[in-house]
Amino acid sequence: MAKEEVEIKDPKDVMKLRPWPVTPPATREEAIKIYQKRGPEAVDFVVWLEDILGYEKRFTKPEALTGVRVLDVGIWRLSNAFCSSLLAELGAEVIKIEPPTGDPLRYLTPFGREEYMLRDNVKGELCGLEFINEMRNKYSVTLNLEHPEGRELFKKLIPQVDIVIENYPPGYFDQLGIGYRQLSKINPRLIYCWIGILGQWGPMKDRVSKFGQWMLEPFGQAACSFIHNTGYPQDFLPRGSGGDPTRSGAWIADYVAGEQAAVNILAALWYREEVSGKGQFIEVTAAEALMDILDFDISWYAFNRSIKGRTGSWDPNLNQYAWNPCRDGYMMIGGQTDRLWYRIGMCISRDFPQFERLISEDPLLKEMAARNALEALIKTYTLTTMWLRNITRNEAEDKLMEYEIAAGPVMYLDEVAEYYHFKYRKFVDVIEDEYYGPILHCAPPLAYQHRTPARVKWMGRPLGIDNEHIYSKYLGIGPTQLRELKEKGII
Amino acid sequence: MDLTEIIWCKHCNTVNYLDPYTFWNWKGKVKCAGCDRVYYVHLIQGFYYEGPKEMPPGEPYDIMPLYADKPLEGYESFKPGTPGKTRPYFCLPREKYLGKADMVKFSVRGRPVRGWAPQPPSSGIAGSQGFKWDIEKLSPDVWKEYQVKVKRGEVREW
Amino acid sequence: MRERVKPEIKFEEIPGPEELELEKMPFEEYCRKIFDPKKTFEKPEALKGIRWLSCTMYIFTPHSVSNLAELGAEVFKVEMPRAGDPMRHTSPFNEAYLYPLHDTRPLTGTGFGFMHANQNEYHISLDYHRPEAREIMYNLVRMSDGLTECYRPGTFHRWGIGYKHLIEINPRFIYVWGGGFGYGPKVFGGSYDILGQAQGGLASITGFHEYFGGHPVKHTNWVIDWYSGTFITCGVLAALYWRRKTGLGTMIEFSQVHCATRACGYGVPLYGRFGIVRQRWGNWDTQLCVHGIIKTGKSDYPDDPNPQLREEARYVMVSAFQDEDFRELCYVIGRPDLWEKYKTHKERLKPEAQMEIYGVLEQWASDKNRSEVVEILTNAGLLAMPVMNDKEVYECQHYRERGTIRWIEDPIFGDVLVHGGFSVGLLSETPRRVRWVWRPVGADNVRVYHELLGYPISKIKEWYDKGII
Repeated sequence: MAKEEVEIKDPKDVMKLRPWPVTPPATREEAIKIYQKRGPEAVDFVVWLEDILGYEKRFTKPEALTGVRVLDVGIWRLSNAFCSSLLAELGAEVIKIEPPTGDPLRYLTPFGREEYMLRDNVKGELCGLEFINEMRNKYSVTLNLEHPEGRELFKKLIPQVDIVIENYPPGYFDQLGIGYRQLSKINPRLIYCWIGILGQWGPMKDRVSKFGQWMLEPFGQAACSFIHNTGYPQDFLPRGSGGDPTRSGAWIADYVAGEQAAVNILAALWYREEVSGKGQFIEVTAAEALMDILDFDISWYAFNRSIKGRTGSWDPNLNQYAWNPCRDGYMMIGGQTDRLWYRIGMCISRDFPQFERLISEDPLLKEMAARNALEALIKTYTLTTMWLRNITRNEAEDKLMEYEIAAGPVMYLDEVAEYYHFKYRKFVDVIEDEYYGPILHCAPPLAYQHRTPARVKWMGRPLGIDNEHIYSKYLGIGPTQLRELKEKGII
Repeated sequence: MDLTEIIWCKHCNTVNYLDPYTFWNWKGKVKCAGCDRVYYVHLIQGFYYEGPKEMPPGEPYDIMPLYADKPLEGYESFKPGTPGKTRPYFCLPREKYLGKADMVKFSVRGRPVRGWAPQPPSSGIAGSQGFKWDIEKLSPDVWKEYQVKVKRGEVREW
Repeated sequence: MRERVKPEIKFEEIPGPEELELEKMPFEEYCRKIFDPKKTFEKPEALKGIRWLSCTMYIFTPHSVSNLAELGAEVFKVEMPRAGDPMRHTSPFNEAYLYPLHDTRPLTGTGFGFMHANQNEYHISLDYHRPEAREIMYNLVRMSDGLTECYRPGTFHRWGIGYKHLIEINPRFIYVWGGGFGYGPKVFGGSYDILGQAQGGLASITGFHEYFGGHPVKHTNWVIDWYSGTFITCGVLAALYWRRKTGLGTMIEFSQVHCATRACGYGVPLYGRFGIVRQRWGNWDTQLCVHGIIKTGKSDYPDDPNPQLREEARYVMVSAFQDEDFRELCYVIGRPDLWEKYKTHKERLKPEAQMEIYGVLEQWASDKNRSEVVEILTNAGLLAMPVMNDKEVYECQHYRERGTIRWIEDPIFGDVLVHGGFSVGLLSETPRRVRWVWRPVGADNVRVYHELLGYPISKIKEWYDKGII
């Protein structure tokens, strides 16, 4: 790799395309040497696994959802984008219909920094990375649904599609004449999915501000008690430094709602094909989707009036199950069962003999369930941190892995991109997109399948670039008519 | 490796646990939970930059540990919130903290729920169970109590 | 003679009174009618006819299968005899359990950590280590559409029940493996949700920034377990759809740590193109301002004995990132100078600007309680909402009406509240449902081994005594 001299006068001087990976991933042979530590059978098995599931082979295999056609009309949020990404990665044909000015998500960028946005090589327009990251395998088409003729065009597309995903404020599409009630008359096989934050109906349904601002994540996290239960207790950190209810760094409720919507859509598709021949109306909300996976928190209230509080990076249900600060970051150690508990003791005691003594002699910590008591957690993690503060994440990981303890460092995204296992398996991968150039992205987790792996074919799409293609293919509208429609503001 | 981040008070042989996040970067005086001695500590990234240094008796302290125990006396423990020994823990789910299974017989709306042990055996061959909790037969006392609750109007929709 | 005029509308196509009503009624009423939670059990189920084996533990893989069970598949959960799934032994601060776990352990219950991951499933027990187990598994596989397992890679293969073996017995079989890492140098590494949060990069973007003294914080729930589980369900449903066309099963291998990276948004492309590593930004948003959580001065329940209500019910989520909304916000809090200073969204988004703006907001809120702040902002037409806690969610009319929170009478355990399953997707024709939360270990041994697979009762008793089931 050639060395490059960089004189840093401005932050922008270091904002260059990173070579990835910085160091090459392990080769097959090196990986096999690692598998061999478990015996020849292990080698055979994993090698066979790699042969049938290999990421490199994904484009040689068919796609699961070929022939399914989706219209994604949602804007602003990630939930509809993620839902249609899942379907698109699995092979469905997804057409993203945006207003003529584009999905507002296109223009969001961290801290407003335009230097973090990408410019396409056709129209030269800037697009934010959040949007590009979720614009996988989708066509971008513009259509003005506020205009009655735009709605007519939309209605003409409906008989040819299977699924519509939208997320406008409750009742808006219905009011415009393109809600489920109206569209299902045109195409009874249509599966129509609305993905929002709080709901289309109910005392606390989605609303917009007086000036028309939409409700976005993390309202979903706030409404289901997720935020209240996350963060450090004020006993550990002062308020304002982390001892507060804390939101997730990602718009997590959007992701969860999006994937549940994909599950519901595919279930509805199955039902349509197997049984009824008809579609249905699906509603998914971020708050309810996240509440569904909020462990048992509200059930616990209904059991004995306990209101779950924050526990920081610890977990009140298992011990050991936390990350604690270490010499160069934070290290997570997991091990709840007796077997793992004593192994952690053995591992740490090699460097810190008092650990085992203080832990295994204590009658309070003998029984697995009793170790979840608050005082047991405090003692365990204080002693563990005494070992961790002296050791780096890599060293800790190696030592703990020797005892087959599940342990992992808290890693930043650049470390994730360079971690040896992830590089080998391609958690993150580079795609050479035709409009935006090389983009590092997280590979679809469903890409490791024997027969129909998910895959990313392109990422990001300039606004409306597929107008000619899609309108011609589905509605027989040629370039001249398209130009007229554009002038009228319909497209 | 000396025992830092806990303060093993040699006078009363109490181990004071200085919880990892509070004390990761911290400076001040900690009172021992077992006796009244005060130690000065200055921790930077978990390491003792200064201390633990025993202070003269009567010195005012900034904080008490959250938990302490005595390894040489059968691990007698000072739970969080013991007056004069450990500081209280506020971020609890309820005013009453048990740390062990709560034997609940009725849910918050007053209907029976099987949250207590031991339960009388109720399975058939090979552990199989049906789809009914025959509460009248298995736990008649709870059933009776439930009837009383119904009569008193303590059983609600929510 | 005049020709009879044939009617152009067929009789069947004339909408009947109920259908006309449905078309004409206001939208909200329409939604209430078609998504009526009381009618859930009157409607069919989407995945009728699918049978799945859940050879899973903890939350990650069980949840991927319980999604199928909520949608109507028949699921058999296979657990180790007597002890069951290790997740049964987790409970918050050791306090909440339901009994019995198994009659041979009368003082051990199943902790609430097991909740929502195994709904509607039939529980059987089987010890895979025993040689007799293999034939039993083969019989089960012949009768099912798929299996999900989470054991160390190669374990099922060693026991003779790996994908290679099962696909020959049942070519339509869909075999799913879920675990931490998948093939690669760390293939044998164990994994938990918290490891996924840590190693996937999600922890590095959650929590208060180092500059403020913050540390990365764990999401309160086992989010990577649950969220990755649903991800697998997507793959399973797609594989089922594909199988309709081709009649072929498949194998899906899934890594949960990978899913954590998938949820990191723009972080990965940002690093790849510009070398910038995304950091934590606390309760504020990196791409929208004002859009964050602020602390108010007083809790809504200053006298309540429960510390969560007394101390913590004082945070508000505020969102006013559009120019008009931000302007209104500045006037409401009496700081029109802030509006003059930060007229564009781009200006407001700068980190120094955010620190100033949120500081001003919290100062304004410092003498009010949470409800007052929400009321003032909502009355001004802005979007604001309290950060709700479990009690408030329980008492929230919105969720009660929608059926998100429901009391169910579990057939074995009694009165339990569930907050998942029903409303994680409202489907108008085939709603999701929860019938029971879970069953004791081996509760359906007779139902499955005798009534489905045909083994005589004496054989089942023998196996039970030998510990095979």
